[in-house]
Formats: sequence, structure tokens, C-alpha cells
Amino acid sequence: MAAEQTEVVLRLSQVTRRYGNQIALDQVALELAAGEVYALIGRNGAGKSTLAKAAIGALALDSGSVRILGVDPSNDLKVRRAVGIAPQEVALYPHLTIAENLDAFAALAGLSRRERVAAVASAMDDAVCTQRADERLDHLSGGWQRRANLAAAIVHRPRLLVLDEPTEGLDVETRLVLHRLIARLRAARTAILLISHNTEDVALLADRLGVMEAGRLIAEGRPAELMATAFDGRTELVIRLSTTTPLVEPFLRARGLAPSDGGLCWSGNVANAFAQAHAIEIELRRVEVELRELAVRPPGLDALIGWATGLAPA
Amino acid sequence: MILVTLRVMALGLWRDRAGLVLVFVLPPLVFVVFASVFGAGISGRLDIRAEVFDQADSVDSHRLIDGLRYQLGGRLIRAPNVAALEDAIKSGRADAGLVLAGNMAEAETPVTVLVHPGRKAAGELLTAQIDAAAAQDLPELMLRREIAHLTPILKLTLDQDRHLINSPLDFLPSPPFTTERILPGGDPLQIYYGGAVSILFLMFTAMQGAMTLIDERRAGLRLRLGLSAGGVAPLLGGRMLWLTVLGVLQAFVLFLVADFAYDVPLLKNLAAWSVTAACAAAASGGIALGLAAACRTREQAQPVSTFIFLVLAAVGGSMAPRFLMPETLQQLGWLTPHAWVIDAYQTVLWRGRVNTTVVQAWIVLSGFAVVGFAAALLIEGRRQL
Repeated sequence: MAAEQTEVVLRLSQVTRRYGNQIALDQVALELAAGEVYALIGRNGAGKSTLAKAAIGALALDSGSVRILGVDPSNDLKVRRAVGIAPQEVALYPHLTIAENLDAFAALAGLSRRERVAAVASAMDDAVCTQRADERLDHLSGGWQRRANLAAAIVHRPRLLVLDEPTEGLDVETRLVLHRLIARLRAARTAILLISHNTEDVALLADRLGVMEAGRLIAEGRPAELMATAFDGRTELVIRLSTTTPLVEPFLRARGLAPSDGGLCWSGNVANAFAQAHAIEIELRRVEVELRELAVRPPGLDALIGWATGLAPA
Repeated sequence: MILVTLRVMALGLWRDRAGLVLVFVLPPLVFVVFASVFGAGISGRLDIRAEVFDQADSVDSHRLIDGLRYQLGGRLIRAPNVAALEDAIKSGRADAGLVLAGNMAEAETPVTVLVHPGRKAAGELLTAQIDAAAAQDLPELMLRREIAHLTPILKLTLDQDRHLINSPLDFLPSPPFTTERILPGGDPLQIYYGGAVSILFLMFTAMQGAMTLIDERRAGLRLRLGLSAGGVAPLLGGRMLWLTVLGVLQAFVLFLVADFAYDVPLLKNLAAWSVTAACAAAASGGIALGLAAACRTREQAQPVSTFIFLVLAAVGGSMAPRFLMPETLQQLGWLTPHAWVIDAYQTVLWRGRVNTTVVQAWIVLSGFAVVGFAAALLIEGRRQL
């Protein structure tokens, strides 16, 4: 598997893009191999969608370079046919049916009439939208439109697929459709750049992930490696109190917890979480503050973003 | 890629019933209204409504009223008295009125035409109709009036006078001094309004089509379309082709109505008309695409294009005939595609020929198309998605 993944489909080298005085992408370098799922996470406005546009050659760069299959997409428009994108919005013609939309995009990608028939059927099958193939898009629910949006991204069998918030507003069933689709595409050696706020999806699907902040890729690696680096065996401890009192604040802070919800909730990533929890329970009993809830769990990707951006202590 | 864009645009219109009505039904409808209002007036078929008070109540006055009623196509009604007649004119129920008083053969002026100061033209039209009716239907009465007038001049004897006056009632009017022969060819003003209304609606139709560029940008479609080989040029090219084809179809429907309703010779001059229509549609398409490319949102494009198109239409002669405009405005009109389109259609359909003026119009309109399309290409090519 490792040997198979050596073909680099996408390479971004020191990509920089400014909008006036604001820097949208700052010296971003990234490589994506065939059959790899790379997830970009980060806060709103971190530059994830801008990076996606740069990756497909749709953004003029101030400096740096983008190569898709070794070719600069801004100079060689033909290589763009190897790219598929499912933008955040449903980027389809509302007055066309699903099948007509897919046929149009397959034709734009240069497929012949005969190839299109098979490609459209296959894409609808993969995105599980065949049963609504002949319905106009503007007559369909949001979930079906999302499936069609995915199908349009893969109808021409791209080598590089960019999915921008693909699970935004999806029901459980459609999310599962997406998960299965990504698994199939990965097996077919499609390189996938996944931009998502949904840390659950990222944790399940990504081979590697990168954390973006202020246009920079501030952390990158396999999810497990990143978590180990960030938290070094620490786990997340969350407690909820019935009331607030200044008496508890010093010792909760001393144990690495930070308040939220007006001081009623305290959380943090701590070593020896169970021992810490026990000590806290005893202390709270001593000052007669009722403990409503106590949870010990592995830190999530939100915590990872917090760690990487320095906004929350690890 | 161009064909894909063409198909997508065509399906978009085909499935939009309201859009179809706006594109193919509204322009001919507006044309028919314009042509019947303005075209008829200039052609001499302006219909007026009149009322008459018959104070004379004689055989002659009855005959004059019957003749006049025939001339006015039945749009003459009787008023019970002068006050009622004046009231009808003041209130606008009648465009003009007439009072018949005294002996029709002997009174100096037995007919008085009443007219509102704001409708003097209606008075003149009614006077002409009365003269025509009198000459046509009361020739012996007119003769008696002439004899009475000529007797002292010609020094006719009493016998001669009596002989002339007692001529039989079936006295035939003398043949008309002038006669009219209408040559083949459409009414120039109806052709004028065909061109004027056509280019007016072409602009708005093209803008609606061009604004799908903005919709595509907003929906993220441009990002996906940008991945297709060929880039932005075929996307705009397909749209330009569609707007041109649609424009020609729209103009064809309008002129076909003009052909059936007003004998505008479309089918006889189809080849030259087609080139003119294609140039006009391409000019509209180019300008609309340039505007749509320059605007970021529909909210911006809608008022900007409406403002520009209405100004162009007013100056270019789509709203009022250019020959009624002051000279400066007429010269200014040549800066708009409207004036060229109207001029080319008039020459092709009215005069039935392709001359230097028409070729010049084709070149200018193609220039509008090229400049607009080039601007759209430049702006869209530089636009960051």
C-alpha cells in the first residue's frame, strides 16, 4: 500500500496569496498521493477553501506553485480534467435533472457521448441517486441535491477530488453514502482533499490531516501521530458544577482546567485523568459544591485545533 | 463545450414558462400596440369619435349625418343639444363635435365644428371628413351653394339659374381631381416600430440570459465549470451563440406578427432581414455579456442594465420615432445600436434593398457585439473565483 501511494497527484510548493493587505495563504506546502485522503481542518476564515481553489488551479498565486500530476494547471488547462470538485454550495443547474446535469459536466470534461452514458450511470450509482435521476434538481430535497453534487464531482473519474464541506447539512444516510463513496474512490487510487468542520468525519476518513490557521498550515501528519504529539497520552477531563464559587477556581486551574459556561463547566487535557478526577471530587465535597457531571474521554480534533492554534492548552 | 452551454441555456428557457412568454409573446404584443397607435396615425387611419347636434333637422342635414356616419365608421352619435355636445367634448367622450343649423343650401356656414383647444387636430380631421361626406353624398346641394355663389359673378339669367338648380337629384359628382395608388411594401412606421420594439426587448432578453453568468458564480458553478478544458472562452462563446440564436428567434416571431397583421414584407426580404436580425441579436448579446461580467451581483446588474437600456432605447428611437427628435438627439442616436437596427430594418423591409446604409449598420452592430464580448472575456478571465 505504501509503495502504491508514492505517486504524487497534487503538490503545492510555498503557495502564497494575498487579498490587499490580508494574507489568505502563507507559504503553504502540501503533497497528496494517489489513493490518499488528506483532510484540512481549521477555524472559519483559516484559508481552507482558498487553499482548495489554489489546489485546482482556480486561483492566481502571488508566489509558489501548484502541480497536478506534475503539470501546472494554470498553464495546461487539460490537466484540470483530472480534477473533480464538490464545492460547499450545490454547484449544479437547478433547471436540469440530475442525469442532465451529470451529462453536461461529463461533456465539459471531454467525454464522448458513449462514454458519458456509462459515466453518468456509474456516478449516480456511486452517489446513490439513480432513483431520482430524471427529476429536476430544484424539485429535490437538500440531501438529494448534495448527492447529485457529489456525483457531478466524480462523473469524469477524476484523479484528484476536492470535497469542500461535503457533509454540511447532510442527514445520516447521505453521510454514510459519502463515507462509502470515499472508501471506493480511495481504493480506486483517487487522491482526495477533504475540507471539513466535521471532526467525526475527518477522524473516520482521513489518512493525513493538516491544521490551517491564518493562511498557514501549522500542523500536519497522520491523525494518531498528531494526537500523540499534541496530547502526549493526556485525556480530556470535563466537569460540570451545580453552582460557582471562588473557592474551587484556584485548584481547578491548578489542575489544568479552564472554565466555560460562566464557570459552571471546566475542561482540559490532563495526564492521569482518573486520578485527577478523583482528587477533584474530594475537593468539591470538602467545599460543599455539588458535582453534576464528570467525564473522561480522549481529546477530539477540536482540541487538536485548539492545541495547534494555541487557543486552548493541550 | 459551446454546444453544452447552448443546450443548458436552451433547456433553461424551455422549462421556464414565464420566461417563454416574456421572450416570445410580450414583444409582439407591445409591437402591435405601438404599431396600431403610432402607425395608424401617420398612415391616415386615425379614428376619431364625434357627436352631432342637428338643429336644422332637415332632409339635407339628415343626409349629411348619414354620409358622415359612413365616413367615420359609425363613430358619430347624436347630442340632444349644444350644451350636451360641448360637455361631451370637454369630458373627452368625443374628440370633436358639429352643429348643423339653418338651411344647408343657403346659410353661409350651416356647419360649425366644435373642438377642444387640446385636440385641434381632431377638429381638422372632422372638417375634412365633413367636406368629403358633403362632396360624396350631397353633390346637388353643394352645386346649389356654388350656383348661389357664382350667379352674381357669372351674371346668370333667372332661367339658367333655375335650370341648374332643378337638376335631377341623381346628379353625379365630378370625378376626383386626385387619386391614390398604394405601392407594395410595408408601412414604414410599422416597420420602424418592429425594429424599435425588437431591439428594446432583445436587450432585456439578452441581459436575462447573460445574468446566468452571475448565477453560476454565486452557486459555485463557475468553480466546477472552470475545470473544463478550454477555460472561460467557450463558456462565454456558448452563451453568446445562444443569445444570438434566441435574439433572432424573438425578432422573427415579432416580424412574423408584423407580416400577418400589417403586411410588413418579412418573408420577401428574409435573407437580408436574417443578417440584420443576427447582427442586432449579437450586439445585444455582446453588450449584455459585458455588463453581466462587470457586475458582481444580480442586485447590481439589474438596475444598472435597466438604466442603460432605457437610456439607449430613448435616445436610439425605440420609444419615439427619431424623425420627431431634435437634430442633436438624432445625431446622438447613432451612438446606440437601436438607431442602426431600426435604420437597417427600415431599409431592408420598406425599401426592399441592401445598400451602403444597411451594410454600415451590419458592421457597426457587429462592432458592438465584438467589443461587448471581448470585454466580457477580459473581465471574466481575470475574475478570481
